Amino acid sequence: MRLWRVVLLVNLSLGLGLLLGYLAWGRESTRLAGELEIARRQQVVAGVERTWQVRGVVRAVLPELNVVVLTHEDLLGFMGSMTMGFRVHDPKLYEGLDIGDRVRFTLTGVPPNVEITALAKEAP
Amino acid sequence: MTAFGVAARWLHLAAGLGLVGLVTATLLVGRRDRPTVLAWEARMLRGARALAGLVLVTGLATLAHQSAVVTGRAGAALEIGEWTRLLGHSQFGTVWLVRHGVLLLLAALLLLREREESVADRLALRGEAWLLAGVGAAAMAWAGHAAAVEGVGLPVAMIDALHLVAAGAWLGALLPLAALLRAAARAEGADARPFAVLAVRAFSRLALTLMILLVATGLANTWFQVGSVPALIGTSYGWLLLAKVALLIPVLLLAQHNRRRLLPRLGGDGDAVGRPAMARLGRFVAAEAGLGLLILLLTTGLSLSPPAVHDPVWWPFSQRYAWDVAAALPGGSTRVLIGVQITFLGLLATVVGLLLRSWRVILVGAGGLAVGAGLWVALPPMTVDAYPTTFLRSSVPYHVVSVASGAALFRTHCVTCHGEGGRGDGPGGAGLPRLPADLTAPHTAQHTAGDMFWWLAHGIPAGGMPPFGAVLSEEERWDLINFIRTLAAGEQARQMTALVPPGRPWLVAPDLAIVVGPAPPRSLKDLRDRWMTLLVVFTLPESRARLVQLAEAYNTLQALGTEVVAVPRGDGSDIIRRLGGRPPILYPVITDGAADIATTYALLGRGFGPARLSPREAPPLHVEFLVDRQGYIRARWLPGAPGPSWDTLPTLVGQIQLIDKETPAGPAPDEHVH
Repeated sequence: MRLWRVVLLVNLSLGLGLLLGYLAWGRESTRLAGELEIARRQQVVAGVERTWQVRGVVRAVLPELNVVVLTHEDLLGFMGSMTMGFRVHDPKLYEGLDIGDRVRFTLTGVPPNVEITALAKEAP
Repeated sequence: MTAFGVAARWLHLAAGLGLVGLVTATLLVGRRDRPTVLAWEARMLRGARALAGLVLVTGLATLAHQSAVVTGRAGAALEIGEWTRLLGHSQFGTVWLVRHGVLLLLAALLLLREREESVADRLALRGEAWLLAGVGAAAMAWAGHAAAVEGVGLPVAMIDALHLVAAGAWLGALLPLAALLRAAARAEGADARPFAVLAVRAFSRLALTLMILLVATGLANTWFQVGSVPALIGTSYGWLLLAKVALLIPVLLLAQHNRRRLLPRLGGDGDAVGRPAMARLGRFVAAEAGLGLLILLLTTGLSLSPPAVHDPVWWPFSQRYAWDVAAALPGGSTRVLIGVQITFLGLLATVVGLLLRSWRVILVGAGGLAVGAGLWVALPPMTVDAYPTTFLRSSVPYHVVSVASGAALFRTHCVTCHGEGGRGDGPGGAGLPRLPADLTAPHTAQHTAGDMFWWLAHGIPAGGMPPFGAVLSEEERWDLINFIRTLAAGEQARQMTALVPPGRPWLVAPDLAIVVGPAPPRSLKDLRDRWMTLLVVFTLPESRARLVQLAEAYNTLQALGTEVVAVPRGDGSDIIRRLGGRPPILYPVITDGAADIATTYALLGRGFGPARLSPREAPPLHVEFLVDRQGYIRARWLPGAPGPSWDTLPTLVGQIQLIDKETPAGPAPDEHVH
């Protein structure tokens, strides 16, 4: 075969390889992005009950709403650290609770429908 | 290991660029059937094969060296496992694989038995070789400093790639051309002489274009990797770059001599005229190539040094020139502008004089005089004393922890002379040759943070300030400088009211950690771009009514893009309990590190009016700062101060909306003081 044809063929195959690689990579990345999105959604709304054990500081107790407001640590896969009110499973849990108390609490439920199921003061 | 790394990278760079130039040279010579040219071509092909082999072998050596550098163990240079890890998990590895794949292809192409049956074959072989060698050289840009420039990595890498290919086509073609000239200058090389002349002329035209390209891309690289004159003069990277430019000057002079003197003399064919000039040109071109190799050695040094923009600058001179200094003097800027214009005219006259023949001496002489006079006019107002650390950047961010630590150090080491308020009126300063500096004076362009760093370490002998280098660590010195800057900024902030003034923001909010109980801390800087911040420094019980008012307005403020952060004066560990839950106060209230924040912001929250009324004024019980999305304090409110008040909420909302509507006039503040 003539040399120039060889060179042309090599370049064509290189270009084609690059193109195919690029396309395959694009497909792969789209697929991965889709999977990631599905995984994220499943994590939050798939109807799976989840539990978090985190620490926080009591900002307000609202017995009329059965809610305790806490500035809390990250709830992985649900929400970042913030000040948030949570329903309390049993009103006894906030008996004797003072504003400013540092607590360790358990949050259970199917996000976003979660409530505090356990709560204990931490030593100051 | 360093010597091994430098040698490997130098040879690798030289061989890679040499390949580009070698193929360029064969393309310039074109298709010739004379025996001397054919013999030269055969030599070039052998040379290209040798270079391809060298580039692959040294490529492996650079991989070994990089493995040792990354792992910090010399032994890792020979561990295949480390190689595969580096290749699979780093940008260096990806670029290395792509480049060496291309170079392997080039080596295979060069090993093909050449059967040049047609012009198309010939062009295909050389064109392909040039393309592969060019890609092999250009891709180096993606494994170097260029690709690491934040934000614009791709364009900067492309500029560097162009620089590399242009350098290859120019430097790499020199030795092949020298070989051709040498062969043609021999008595038996007469058949090649006309082609050598044509090739050298074509190269001369190409070299001019390449040189312009090299200078332009080199300047762009310098802009991104060095960025300032002090960094060029005061870092090892800058020195290497200056050495590189210094080496380029003899190369350019040699090139100019060759172009002007020797090139026209090649035309005369025959033993007497053409041959000696050709032999001489061959030697000179080879000398250029030798200097080029040295330039590549310096380039290797540059690629292994941290770029000057990221390196501490050590200023070698006792003076520096700064426009800001002249601008601050009355009439200073006018004098500098006049001087610069005289200098420019002088330079213009010198250049014109060099180009003309008849008026050369007069024009160059007058031009030189004008340059001297211009500098004599322009430089004095810009001159200011400088120290080795003048351009050193602070290693400690502008953070309340640092300022508070600086305040404590100030009380221990500085108050005796500089006074409690930092105004230079301490009892110990009275007997000194010069009164201690008033540290509350507005910060001027006269001195940098680096200057203060030097004075703190070495003292000011003429003024009687003792050195503290042995007493204070580097970090403590930066803490003191951060404190002094806050002190001076606070003095200016006395004029700041509850209304956001038009114009450029200037008062930087020292960064702070927002810690509320066990929740992970955020910093004020984390809120930038998204939130404005109303920073409230408060005291109980005086501030309770205001805190409740803010709690009731919290939803409105948040809807306007403003976060409220409350900082108790004193210990905050128990503050949430003391605030109580009726009504609930739900914005962040700092529970840890509040004392440092209160100390720092007390400096910025001092009362209105003339500065020198009371040296020991008590910090305000309650003060609020409105921080914009860039991190500048734009307005502040001291309850009871005359003028508009934020306790009528619409006033506060109006100021927030004013900031919300504006487009930022400048960049966000730097993390460090200058």
